[in-house]
Amino acid sequence: MTSEGASTDLSSTIWPQVDKALSGISVEPEMGVLDLIVRIPRDEVIRGLRALKRDADLDFDYLRCLTAVDWEERGIDVVYHLYSTKKRHNLTVKTNLPNQDLTVDTATTVWRGANWLERETAEMFGVRFNGHPDPRTLLMPEDMDDTFPLRKDHPLQDIKILQGEGIAFPEEQD
Amino acid sequence: MTSVLLQPEHEFETQDIFVNMGPQHPSTHGVFRMVLAVDGEVVRDVLPYIGYLHRGAEKLCETMDYRQGIGFMDRTEYLAAFNAELSYVMAVEKLAGIEVPERAQWIRMILCELNRLSSHFMFLGAFGVDVGVLGTSFTYAFREREVIFDLFEEICGDRMMYSYFRVGGLAWEVTDNFVARVHQVLASARQGIEDLDGLLTANEIFQARTKGIGHISAADAIDWGMSGPSLRATGVSLDIRRDEPYLFYPEVKFDVITGTNGDVYDRYICRLQEMYQSIRIIEQCLQRLQPGPIVPERMSRLLRTPPGEVYLRTEAPRGEYGVYMVSNGGNRPWRCKVRSACLSNLQALRDMTVGHYVSDAVLVLGSIDIVLSEVDR
Repeated sequence: MTSEGASTDLSSTIWPQVDKALSGISVEPEMGVLDLIVRIPRDEVIRGLRALKRDADLDFDYLRCLTAVDWEERGIDVVYHLYSTKKRHNLTVKTNLPNQDLTVDTATTVWRGANWLERETAEMFGVRFNGHPDPRTLLMPEDMDDTFPLRKDHPLQDIKILQGEGIAFPEEQD
Repeated sequence: MTSVLLQPEHEFETQDIFVNMGPQHPSTHGVFRMVLAVDGEVVRDVLPYIGYLHRGAEKLCETMDYRQGIGFMDRTEYLAAFNAELSYVMAVEKLAGIEVPERAQWIRMILCELNRLSSHFMFLGAFGVDVGVLGTSFTYAFREREVIFDLFEEICGDRMMYSYFRVGGLAWEVTDNFVARVHQVLASARQGIEDLDGLLTANEIFQARTKGIGHISAADAIDWGMSGPSLRATGVSLDIRRDEPYLFYPEVKFDVITGTNGDVYDRYICRLQEMYQSIRIIEQCLQRLQPGPIVPERMSRLLRTPPGEVYLRTEAPRGEYGVYMVSNGGNRPWRCKVRSACLSNLQALRDMTVGHYVSDAVLVLGSIDIVLSEVDR
């Protein structure tokens, strides 16, 4: 993700303040193309996000975007894009979920706006957000809870929804 | 003799009833469904349902070359397709480290602001219908919108699905009489805005129906992740064009319009005033437009990006249109997430609607200016 040169000038970014706000949490920083990226272990991610929001110097009051990225055998990354409407700075927070246990606590307790974004991420990637107030599907049909379209192993082809029996993929045709 | 109707055992019993609106309903601006719990005429609860227009644009982008994804972006945000294309191509350019020639950037700016005008015209027209001006505002707005679309059609051959921006620049040069044509369009647009302003803003019924309706506070709006005119109407001065400049926005003068009350009327006024600012921006762009190349000199035939990621956001007419693009070094995105402004704005619908009349629920929905294809992607 980052070159060696980029990681040396983190001090000119908001990293010192982020490091201070997240003291006690193991954080790995790296510099992205536009924004600073920090990785937080999933058990501490909500605590970290809340600390980032409450910190007076950082004041991340705005959740721009919440999504996930499927890295196949490396699990799924949940990505939070934060912004401060007063201080006007950005931060990307990532947390990695192992494939055998795709759960993370909900961020709706930090920003209410995470609600639909988490519902979408849940149905698209099969990530479960513990404590989510409204864990229904958002864009997908209500009963489509056994296949996750944005996972890399999901084929790009028509699917057939069988009434009451689940979902079937037709035979591949070449 | 006392009336039987006054005796306690004959008192009316009332109960909340559930009303389904949509997905096929003219007031929902597309395929949007909401279930209202109403107590008489007053809305007690709202439950929105979306997803009727989900086409999996993000998944499709992952299977194709970076340059093929541009067409899908048009279709996510069909009322402001230039703005959608802009976020996408700029995300790829940032990842690949491509410098865009100045002329291409100025033209992009002009087209995006024209698209903002056409999108806001659509809003004014449809919103007038929501309020109850019948078809008049719609006809006026569409007359002006069509003038802008004629110009777009001359440039790229299509009224709505442009596919004109390319990674690195533009697909081809604009027409020879471009500057004169834009001036013509602006004159017509200015007249159109004044007409609609005169038709709607000062109208007593219009004001009575919109003021104080659908209120949301600045803190709530930020918490819900609202953006664009819907957020600025609450008094939060936040505009990506000014705060995180892209293209040549730092070099032009324009004001960020904010409201004070965060109600339906303020959202309308914000959009109306923004249109004058767009005209101002375009006029400055036209003065600065110089002949020159529209694509970088060296563009490889195969476009690969180094591994990395970028979340690129621009100020689209409805708010923040973001593209989160992750590359693993190939010639297609590993992940391409579209951050829809309307999706976040729509989340606050319940807060804005509860406690108002059913007929006002239509107004609140209209004032968010939703495009369902952007919500569902």
